[in-house]
Amino acid sequence: MTIGRRRAVPQDVHAVSTTLDAPSARAAAPSFAEVAADQLDAVYRYLVLLTGDRSAAEDLAAETFEKAFRTWRRFDPRRGSPRTWLCQIARTSAIDWFRAEARRKRREETYSRDLEHATELLDGLPGPLEQAVRGLSPAEREVVALRVLLELDGPSAARVLGISQTACSTRLSRALKNLEERIDDGPE
Amino acid sequence: MAPSEAIGAARLEALLAGDAPRTTDEARRAALLAQLRGATLGAPEALRARVLAVAPVRRRAFAPRPSRRLVFAVIPAAFAVAVAVAAALVHGLTTGSGSRTVRGAAITTVSHGVAPSVKRPANPPTFSTARGAPSAGGLQSSPSPTLDFAQPAQSALAPAGAANRLQHTDASLQVRVPDVEHLSSATRAATRIATSLGGYAQSIDYQTPQGGNGAAFIELRVPAQNVQRALARLAGLGTLASQEVSVKDLEHALQVESEQVAQLRRRVAALQQALADPALPDAQRVLLQIRLAESKRALAQRLHARKGTVSAGTTARISLVLRTERSVVTPAPPRGRTGRMLHSALGFLGLEGTAALYGLIVLSPLAVLAAFAWLLTRLRRRRDEQRLLAA
Repeated sequence: MTIGRRRAVPQDVHAVSTTLDAPSARAAAPSFAEVAADQLDAVYRYLVLLTGDRSAAEDLAAETFEKAFRTWRRFDPRRGSPRTWLCQIARTSAIDWFRAEARRKRREETYSRDLEHATELLDGLPGPLEQAVRGLSPAEREVVALRVLLELDGPSAARVLGISQTACSTRLSRALKNLEERIDDGPE
Repeated sequence: MAPSEAIGAARLEALLAGDAPRTTDEARRAALLAQLRGATLGAPEALRARVLAVAPVRRRAFAPRPSRRLVFAVIPAAFAVAVAVAAALVHGLTTGSGSRTVRGAAITTVSHGVAPSVKRPANPPTFSTARGAPSAGGLQSSPSPTLDFAQPAQSALAPAGAANRLQHTDASLQVRVPDVEHLSSATRAATRIATSLGGYAQSIDYQTPQGGNGAAFIELRVPAQNVQRALARLAGLGTLASQEVSVKDLEHALQVESEQVAQLRRRVAALQQALADPALPDAQRVLLQIRLAESKRALAQRLHARKGTVSAGTTARISLVLRTERSVVTPAPPRGRTGRMLHSALGFLGLEGTAALYGLIVLSPLAVLAAFAWLLTRLRRRRDEQRLLAA
């Protein structure tokens, strides 16, 4: 029988058990390996959609988990889920990557990495939808990834993006509408 | 097919949560969401192996480190407060135990025109400092730690310094008189007392506002050797409400100043002797003349300071307050060692608070500028990120 006082937890915290006979919260904290194994796919998907580049996403995912491992002791599950925390770290890495890409793009006259000819973003996406997703801006792809693919709730996604919840919701609406328009327009 | 019309944020949230669509547009949007969610992409095995290789399997106890806000703001603030309190306590310990202020209150009733009669107080005032205890700051305690009620209270209250030492006496008395008429006569009498003892009244502030009450604030200077008699006679002008006498030993200061004067005089003589030599080169003569002028100036300053010290030691300052009010400020009960220490520590803490407030006022514009710069940097960085991701 479970006897205990339930505490308010974020919606995207996956497992919460507060019972008298259960292990205490200190002992129930997951190991970093467990968190990494659980969240790796989600973080990778997020980075693929954000950068539009699978190989870059792989590097960034690895970098993200290295950073996360270094700051693992600072992670406080009371302030957010591991997924939110990892996405925040991943986003910082991705923005650095975008900066580096922009510098490189300015340096070189031709942009060597042509997204149009890159490998497909996600497995199982219909062709028109794949093309439509590619046509979105990184900011729009990012919000779609967080809210739809990773199923983060509004506050968590807003926290990752560093914007208000309303702005996050607006951005998602705009991205989805943009997707629909691009699907309707078909490949150009 | 035309794109969906605007779907409200609440409905979009509902669709994301799996709610059934209500309109055609919502159905289309839900289908799009389902297609997106149907896409799968797992991390490559190489990446999984790479990530899990660095991840330890060991569970950790949940012991989050304090946040940066706590580390950078709260902890330094708490540390500063602790240092301030510790400094105040140290100050209280070092200075509170050596206070040489002697407080005493005589409950004496003086009838005008009648010889003073002395009543024994319920709680005889005692002096907290030890008799003849040497003082770290050059002050000396009262030599009469207890009151002899066989003698007139006024003279017993006045501490007497060592006769052969140079000491500055600073006394303040509050004397109550029955009414304004007595206030006037007592004021005149106080001036006469000072004059008769070889002193003078430095200032008199006589106030008789409407309502029958009044007060006179008199600053007197009397020769040091007559301070005891002056206090006794001034206390006899009415009912002595409070008396505070502090004696500061000036012997050491005088000795130091005398040594400095002698040293400067020797230097001046030596320089003058050197300058009398006709074979002295011009350049060296000029140098010696400069040094001589400096030494003479320093000598004049030291002589002036010594004169002030001697003057302070030979003249006592008495602040006399004559009041007609019924409720004269009751003197604070004599404090013990702990009381003095705490009083001193609290005073120092107040001083620290004032200094901190002053610093805060001075630094607040800089803090505002720093906060503004930080906000600007953050805004710029946010715009930079938006620009990067909007491309």
